[in-house]
Amino acid sequence: MIAARLGLQSVSVLRQTPRVVRSHVIKRAVQTESIPAASSGHILRKQALARPSSPHFTIYEPQLTWLASIANRATGVGLSVLFYGFSLAYLVAPSTFSSENVVSTVKSLPSSVKIAGKAILAGPFTFHSFNGVRHLLWDLGYFITVKGCYQSGYAVLGLTALGTAGLVAW
Amino acid sequence: MSSSLILRSSLPRSVQRAARTPAAFQAVRHQSDVYVPGGPVYRGTVNDPTTYPEPNRSHGGYHWAFERILSAGLVPLTAASFATSGTNYPILDGILGVTLVMHSHIGFDALIVDYVHKRKFPKLSPLLSWTLRASTVGVLVGVYQFNTNDVGLTELIARTWTA
Amino acid sequence: MQSVARRLSSTASRRGFATTSAAFQAAPLEKPVLNKTFKIYRWNPDEPAKKPELQSYTIDLNQTGPMILDALIKIKNEMDPTLTFRRSCREGICGSCAMNIEGRNTLACLCRIDRNPAKESKIYPLPHMYIVKDLVPDLTYFYKQYKSIEPYLQNDNPPPQGEFLQSPEDRKKLDGMYECILCACCSTSCPSYWWNQDEYLGPATLMQAYRWLADSRDAAGAKRREKLQNEMSVFRCHTIFNCSRTCPKGLNPAAAIAKIKLELSAE
Repeated sequence: MIAARLGLQSVSVLRQTPRVVRSHVIKRAVQTESIPAASSGHILRKQALARPSSPHFTIYEPQLTWLASIANRATGVGLSVLFYGFSLAYLVAPSTFSSENVVSTVKSLPSSVKIAGKAILAGPFTFHSFNGVRHLLWDLGYFITVKGCYQSGYAVLGLTALGTAGLVAW
Repeated sequence: MSSSLILRSSLPRSVQRAARTPAAFQAVRHQSDVYVPGGPVYRGTVNDPTTYPEPNRSHGGYHWAFERILSAGLVPLTAASFATSGTNYPILDGILGVTLVMHSHIGFDALIVDYVHKRKFPKLSPLLSWTLRASTVGVLVGVYQFNTNDVGLTELIARTWTA
Repeated sequence: MQSVARRLSSTASRRGFATTSAAFQAAPLEKPVLNKTFKIYRWNPDEPAKKPELQSYTIDLNQTGPMILDALIKIKNEMDPTLTFRRSCREGICGSCAMNIEGRNTLACLCRIDRNPAKESKIYPLPHMYIVKDLVPDLTYFYKQYKSIEPYLQNDNPPPQGEFLQSPEDRKKLDGMYECILCACCSTSCPSYWWNQDEYLGPATLMQAYRWLADSRDAAGAKRREKLQNEMSVFRCHTIFNCSRTCPKGLNPAAAIAKIKLELSAE
């Protein structure tokens, strides 16, 4: 296959021909294609464009490092979307989204829904808060080792569990 | 995340089709020579270093420092709003409202820079940026209205939580 | 056991080393067959339209060296010579055999084979890179980025005599950074580098950038920092920590980047 790519198809013929013929005639049978120097970049680029991109997050081992980072972003976005959503809703329809209406709506919910709702809010809030502190400490140079990353990571997970339980029971 | 994946897989391929033309060896400017950010074709030769965006401290170190100071400020603010009621301390509610909005805005903006940067999405990216800016202004007004005309953020959360 | 040793030593004293008779030689251990399957990412540039796929190879671990690189070489030698990968020093100093083994970026030569035969080992090239063939990624852009940080001493005022001197404390600041072998394990483990590798420099290059910022002999610090003052080159780092976690040399790029950020914000 490599031979074919280089235009050396006649290699097998070469082995069967007498030596004299080989040196005088067959040399010419090896064909090369003359390509202007300016085209070399183009050939390389054409090769590069055929290349696939190797798989990444689908094959990378789930690790506390990047999962915590994704969780930090996801929880932050979730809470901010809620905050933006409520503020804009209040801006558009202040009477519908007044505190009285919100509180009375929540009051009317069954207690199981209320507890679930509290957990859904308290979990991301506590995680994002504690993990945020972890990030600030890293930025100041504390715990910025693999060991520190894991210790602080597990500490954040523990505090999140405690904080969520505490807030739900509030 | 997924949007940048789509870009990776779709853009180079469309360029790829053009590269299979029969006159591939002519020394003319091919479509495959066009630089696509993040694509397999890079600028210059293998020996040229990559280039940098224009230096701008308000996008660089200052932006980062501002973001950290803001986040650090949220720590005592959050703790304080657990301890007191926003109705009694409207200033706390005001500061918290503004800080949270800025913190959220920077967070959303980081999403755009990470996943839908304008060098890859020249139309969608500015559209999202301006939508974000408009929403942030709206949210600031909304929060101000709520804090002045209603019970304020911390009191709302406290009441809803114990409802 | 003891009696054998005694007999052996007495034989040796009588007859020298040359001709220990066969009866005294330890019989070669008959090792049981321990088959394990490796699933390896394959893509052939000669058939560009064919999608990359995982190909399975089963080898006897008792006839293989202890490292993943040994397994790869065995497969290439004995089963499939078309399997393509980079390797050179086989002792973790050249950085050629960087690849993703069982989900972690590491050097094949430093990664022990998991001897559990029930578990298949999956081997991929470094993540989110353009693939030249099989396990060989195109690292051109990575090297171009490394070049862009001007990784060499810059100082227009050499001492009148001799070489630049440095205190032991200043020299110590470079420990943990100069050892980098540029295998690209860290950069290609970084999600930020996955999404923005054309503009974000990535952990390996950034740690080398800091290696020159931290060098007491270098006088180009202000210029070096100025280049990095933008939203892409450094600040796409969100301290995810995949880089330090995966470094096969045990270095800590995350800490170096944190120091760059502090220096850039204090300017």
